[in-house]
Formats: sequence, structure tokens, C-alpha cells
Amino acid sequence: MSLLEVRHLHKSYRAQGKTTRAVQDVSLQIGANQVLAFLGPNGAGKTTTIKMIAGLVLPDRGTVSIAGRDPHHDSQALRSVGAVLEGSRNLYWRLTPAENLEYFGVLRGLSRRVARQRSRVLLDRFELSHKSKTNVQKLSRGMQQKVAIAVALIHEPPLLLLDEPTLGLDVEATQTVKRLVREIASEGRAILLTTHQLDIAEELSDRVAIINQGEIVTEQATEALIQQFSSAVYRVELPELPDDRIARLIDLGALIEGTTVHIPNPTLLYPVLDILNPLPIARLETERATLTDIFLKLTKANPTHASGDVHA
Amino acid sequence: MLELFFAELTRAGIQLRRYLFESIGGIVISTSVFYGLFLSASYIAGPGLQFGNRLDAIIVGYVLWTLVLFIMANISGTLQREAQTGTLEQLFISPFSASQVFLTRAIADLLLQSGLIAAIIVIIMALTGRWLAFPLSLWLPLFTVLLGAYGLAFAIGSLALIVKRLQQVLGIFQFALLFLMSVPTEEWTGGMRIIGNLLPMSPGAGLLRNLMARQQPLDLPQLGIALVNGGVYFAIGLFLFRWAERQTKRYGNLSDY
Repeated sequence: MSLLEVRHLHKSYRAQGKTTRAVQDVSLQIGANQVLAFLGPNGAGKTTTIKMIAGLVLPDRGTVSIAGRDPHHDSQALRSVGAVLEGSRNLYWRLTPAENLEYFGVLRGLSRRVARQRSRVLLDRFELSHKSKTNVQKLSRGMQQKVAIAVALIHEPPLLLLDEPTLGLDVEATQTVKRLVREIASEGRAILLTTHQLDIAEELSDRVAIINQGEIVTEQATEALIQQFSSAVYRVELPELPDDRIARLIDLGALIEGTTVHIPNPTLLYPVLDILNPLPIARLETERATLTDIFLKLTKANPTHASGDVHA
Repeated sequence: MLELFFAELTRAGIQLRRYLFESIGGIVISTSVFYGLFLSASYIAGPGLQFGNRLDAIIVGYVLWTLVLFIMANISGTLQREAQTGTLEQLFISPFSASQVFLTRAIADLLLQSGLIAAIIVIIMALTGRWLAFPLSLWLPLFTVLLGAYGLAFAIGSLALIVKRLQQVLGIFQFALLFLMSVPTEEWTGGMRIIGNLLPMSPGAGLLRNLMARQQPLDLPQLGIALVNGGVYFAIGLFLFRWAERQTKRYGNLSDY
């Protein structure tokens, strides 16, 4: 069952007689234990979509359902969502992590007693207990981000919205946030994650949605998307490739580029190697597109036609 | 709601304690302004000046003005401050409505600030040598003034949500409030009396002056008028705030400042 279902969201802004279509017909869904990487260039409509999900921006059309409730008509839906928003501190800097956790816990509907108990557990889990009495403004950026994620989890929401959670973090803090995202998803939560660090998105996500100019250009399982954009499964590089072998390899279905053989089907690997035997092989590797390649193809190369080409 | 109120009280208490200097500064400025005005008036009028119970009425008006000013600036100030510090949107991701959160916060803040306001009253009374009466019945008209003040605070808050920056408007508004809190509408008669009863918080302020400065008994029909006045302004403020919240969410600029 989907914990988040977004259907046909539209949002336009009008300013000085000009209409900007920020989001057009965006549909998404995320189930329990899933991380959806929501990717797009700056100004593509990611943050507007996230804010419509969090009930902070009213959609012109379309619906949002969080665990079966619409946050725009039923404020109880907001008990089921936690959010770390980009460009925001998300926390009171004059309060300590423990005080922030307790306050936001009550704001999300917990009793003070429960909020205090969970605050202790979360501080322990996020390795922040030793800083529980330090004002947030005196913590490092990485620690502040950990507190912000802990605050978003204080009421144990099934859906977590993380808008650029690793922005501005050093390598160590980024690793910690990645580990936390994996752990949180494995607890049965659905996570919507936006990031410009596409290697992180590739590593963490189960599904990917790419938005460009307000429209979703692709939305599917991360692995399937990468496979779809990987033109061959294996690549064999040789110092030299005689012509008689090239003809036999092409007959078999392999693709030749100079002295490199691209093998589009895994079952062809050994027949290809039989043909190449006993030629020396310089390199044999799996050929795989990265999310960065795919992102650039879909958002830069042919932005207006990308949608039709790759829709799942 | 009660849990939220105590959480707000705790949050405000921590910040008040941790940044006590700011709070004490508020008392010093507020009492200095009054004493400055008092000394100027005494100097202009000369040594033969006798304020009588008019000075008491002015003190009541001034303290009420301080109180109302605090309430008035609270909601719009919170909105602007939290937008700047990046916590505003988190306040809206809550099963509590924004008006519940901001009202609860404003009441909690007022409760803590009331200690400071009490200090201002005592200092002013000591400086002027005029000691006001504090009968128990003052709570009822004070409640009507607070209702009206929170109504206006929500109205100003809705303006803050829509136009974002309010400093100049708030500056001008302070003088309008001083007029509302100090003008003796309770002494007006005829058509002017009706106008006085329609002005925000004015009937309650008049009752307070009668109780505290003139030691008159509580006028119950006038209390009814003050209650309706406060209730209407509170409802209007709440309505405007909800409308402004919806508009801001429509324009997608909740966190702008």
C-alpha cells in the first residue's frame, strides 16, 4: 500500500501579468520501506511539489493523500508527515536539541511526557546525547542536520520529506545522513528525498522520479531506469580486433566500436568470449549508465521530448 | 491544546531566562518613556500642576497600551521572525491549526510578560507617587480588552502574512493604539459614546480606568458592551488570519520575508 499518493498536481504562479507553470500534472507514489529520489534541476518544481505534499502550498488541481488523508482538507494528515526543508534551519537555534525535540513533538500532537521520552531515545540513536544541553546554534552543521532529522521523526511519521538533507555537509556528516536515511526507510517509512548529489540518490533510492520544467519526465525503479539507459551489459576492450572476428561478433548481436565490443545481452557473454579466444583482453567490465548520465540526458539534451521517450 | 500551551510556556520561559537582558531592557525603555512624558508634561504645566485622578487614568491607559502593544506585536513579530530564522513552515506542519498555535503562543508569551508588565506598573506608580486600586473585578474588563487585542493581533498578523514587512505600519499603529487606550471614551456622551463603544478595546479600557483610577463600581451593562466589542474584534481577527493563511498558501510564499 502506498503511504504517499500524489495525483495530477498542478500549480501555477502569476506575477506581473506573467504565468509560470511551476508544477504540471505531477503524480507520484511511495510505499513503506521505500526511498523515492525526486530529482530535477533548480527551479524544476521539486520544492513546490514537496510543499504541496506538506500542506504548505495549495495546489491548483490534483490531490495529495498521506496514509489515506488529504493534508489540505484534514489537518490530522500532518501527524503522518515529518519534513526537513531545504534553505530552512527547521530548528530553534536558541534552544538545545532536547528542547527542540520536546517542543516539536508536542506541536505534532504528542504529550510532553511521550515527547520527552522519545527525545531521549532519538538523541541516543543519533549520537547527540552529549550535546543535548548545547544550544543548536553552537552545534556543527552536520549535527544541526541530524537534530533536524530527529525532530522530523519525533512523532514517528510514516512519511518523511527530506529536501536536500546533505546540502553543505562535509563527507563524514554526509555518510552519517546516508546511513540514517537507510535505517529510517528500513523501519517501514516512506521517504521522499531530493538532492543534487546524484551519486547519493543512486545509492539510497529504490525509485527515481525526475522532474523538468514542472513535468515528471520519468518515474520508475532506480535499477530499471539505469538498465534502460545502459546500452550494453558488458564491455570488452582489446588491444586489437581482427576483421574476421568482427563479422562473427556482429552476427552474434554484439556492437563494435573500434577495438571495443559492447555486449547488450548477458547470455551473449560466453559466446563472445569463445569468438575472441585466444586474443588478449585489456579490460572486461559491466557497462552501466549512472544516474548522473541519465539525469543529464533527460533534463539537458532534449528537455521537451524527454517525457515521451522514457516514460515507464 | 493544554499540552501545546505548556510546551509554548516552557519554550518562551527558556528563551526569557536565557536572554534576560532583552526582557529587562524592555522594562527600562517602557518606564523611561513614560517618565520622560510625565516630566515633560510637568515642566510645561509648571509647578502648580495638579493631575489628580487624571494621572491615574493616564497610568492605566499607558500600562494598557504597553500590554496591548506587546500582544499586537507578538503574532506579526513571531511570523516575521520565524520566517527569517527558517522555522515558520515547521509551525504549519502540525495537526493544530496555525491560529491555534499562534494564539496559544501569544497567551503563553503574555503570561510570562505579565511579570514584566507588573514591574512596569510598580515602577511607574513609585515614580509618580500615585497608587492605583486593583479590585478583583478588573479581570472582567481586562479580559474584554485582551480579546480585542488578540483580534487586532491576528488582523495585523494576517497583514504580515500577505505583505511580509510591517515595521513602518506597526510604528504608525502604535500611535493609533495609544489613542484607543488613552482617550476617555467613558466620558463621551450621545453619538460619540456610540462611536466610543465601537472602537476596538475602548469600552473595556474605559471600564478599567473607572475601576482602577476613579474607584467606581463595575458597570455591568457597559461590561456587556465591552464583551461584545472584544468578541467581535477577536472573531474578525481570526477570520482575517485564516483567510490570509489560505492566500499565502495559494501564492506559495509562506516562508518569504
